[in-house]
Amino acid sequence: MCGREAAGFFPTIFGRRTWFASGVCAFAVLLLMAFAWLFISGSRLTSWEGFASLSRQPWFWRSVKLTLYTALATTALAAVLGVPAAYALSRFDFPGKKAAEVVFLSLLVLPASSVGLMLMVALQYPPVRLLQDSLHIRIVHSLPGVVVAQLVLALAFGVVAWRVAFDQIHPVYEHVGRTLGASSGRVFFNLTLPMAGKGILTGAILAFSRAMAEFGAVLILCSTFRFRDPGRFSAVSKFLGIDRADILAVAMWMEMEEGQMERGMALAFIMLGLTAVFVYVLIKMKKRAFHEYTGS
Amino acid sequence: MNTLEVENLGVRLGRFSLSGIHLSVRAGEYLVLLGPTGAGKTVLLECLLGLHGLETGSVRVRGRDVGRLPLEERGMAYVPQDYALFPHLTVAQNITYGLQVRKLPKEEIRRQTAAMMERLDIGHLAGRFPARLSGGEKQRTALGRALVTCPEIILLDEPLSALDENRCYEYARWLKQTQQDAGSTFLHVCHSFEEAACVADRVAVMNDHGVMVQIGTLDEIIDQPANRFVARFTLCRNILPGQAEKNTPGARILLDNGMWLHAGREIAGPVYAGIRPENILLLEKRTEAAENCFRGRIIQVSRRPAGREIRVATGCGEMVLHTPASAARHEIGQEVDMHVPRDKVIVMKA
Repeated sequence: MCGREAAGFFPTIFGRRTWFASGVCAFAVLLLMAFAWLFISGSRLTSWEGFASLSRQPWFWRSVKLTLYTALATTALAAVLGVPAAYALSRFDFPGKKAAEVVFLSLLVLPASSVGLMLMVALQYPPVRLLQDSLHIRIVHSLPGVVVAQLVLALAFGVVAWRVAFDQIHPVYEHVGRTLGASSGRVFFNLTLPMAGKGILTGAILAFSRAMAEFGAVLILCSTFRFRDPGRFSAVSKFLGIDRADILAVAMWMEMEEGQMERGMALAFIMLGLTAVFVYVLIKMKKRAFHEYTGS
Repeated sequence: MNTLEVENLGVRLGRFSLSGIHLSVRAGEYLVLLGPTGAGKTVLLECLLGLHGLETGSVRVRGRDVGRLPLEERGMAYVPQDYALFPHLTVAQNITYGLQVRKLPKEEIRRQTAAMMERLDIGHLAGRFPARLSGGEKQRTALGRALVTCPEIILLDEPLSALDENRCYEYARWLKQTQQDAGSTFLHVCHSFEEAACVADRVAVMNDHGVMVQIGTLDEIIDQPANRFVARFTLCRNILPGQAEKNTPGARILLDNGMWLHAGREIAGPVYAGIRPENILLLEKRTEAAENCFRGRIIQVSRRPAGREIRVATGCGEMVLHTPASAARHEIGQEVDMHVPRDKVIVMKA
């Protein structure tokens, strides 16, 4: 049933869906082979040396941790903010709904760097700065800024996916639940959320991948951290071991800029591997959720 | 006191609107809301549940105005068209849901769930998920889920439409039986008169424009339909326009072709005369003097489970009549004489 549902998404202009599906598979296999070839061919730029040299860098493991922590924090925040927002967009009509939809959809296609620039200007705006000062936080050029930059874009991906997830659940289930005596909040947590589980996970995968891959917005809003004075990092970031490091996407760019192509390529492969592992784990979870759902 | 009382309900949803709906459902009654597709029956149910804001009117449950109450406090249970069983919960969990919400003691919940599943004969399905139930099993589960919370009234939206047509009547009888056994009040929406006839204590008929045309027992709406629409809906196939004048006892109606039709009811003015197919008798011999006789030519004969349906072209248009299977066979093109007893002529004001 899962397969049939997925096949339904493919347009039939490709004649048989199987042809289209095998085309997609062939493309993926070709890509994999191309990556493998980079190693086998013994290209100077891709070698185990790159990985070895990378692991000797003092900032490397901090970078890996920073990337994972910020992406996870972003996904969690995006879920907390985005799931209720997506539910509201799916179920209610309210003034400004169209505008909200336009904003979320625009964020999907806008260059991330422009989002970063707008964020930076907005966060430097005097009243917003005063607010940050009074709360003793700084967002621009600081580690929390990484999460903020990632959040804006991850939220857009998440909200669009979560909205689809809620759209697919007919409100009649909620109505029935409420006639049985449950409040609307209870119905949301008992019925709607579990029924949308698969879609929520899909949205989380998207938000997480987007957060991990974010580059432009983070670079513009936060610049780089590796060479900063250690005194400028908070105790928390030192405790977590994420100070004086950049997220992997930024680190890769820095290695490239410094002419360390081998380390840059190694970082690119590490990001590919990490993303693949996370997506695989989440797909597995999704499948299990599906089996529980149907009892099969 | 009536369980449900709807007064002058009016609602507007874009181009669609309902207005002037009056309805009352007595305690322990099975009321069927009957109307063609698009009449607004489902919208009316949704209004009762409070899913649309009312423009006018009020909804009372046991005398209490529920207009401003949220869905969960209205005392109504809802069984939607495709049952909307919660797909991530098993049959037992679906039934338990309403009890858990009420925060009953665990032991009590278990007892009541088991009793309900026993009563509806779905105990063996307890651990199954809705995706693996048949239509009838889903119906039972959905009804169990609604019944177990002891609502004042259960609203059923086309509860038989998702079921195998061949077994529809079996399920309809089961619904009726369950309602009687539980002593609960049912408001059932459907578009088929035959389905309504299987279960209803009373029937409320809505027309295409969302107007409630008649409410009454089956006998009332079959024998004295309020208008042409109700007559057609209750399968009265022959409806002839005419002008009635009093002819005590009863009336005689001048049909458009100049023929007189005698009816048992005293009425005057423009009317429609309705004749049910099963009330037209085929005569062996023409008797000139007899009243309410038609002559015509058979244009179609089709076989029905209970006999034959014969279409006859007469001076006042095509007429349809049913004959029992045991009756003599008739051929297309044959001239026949028909008779309608005067007490079988239904008269409706035009």
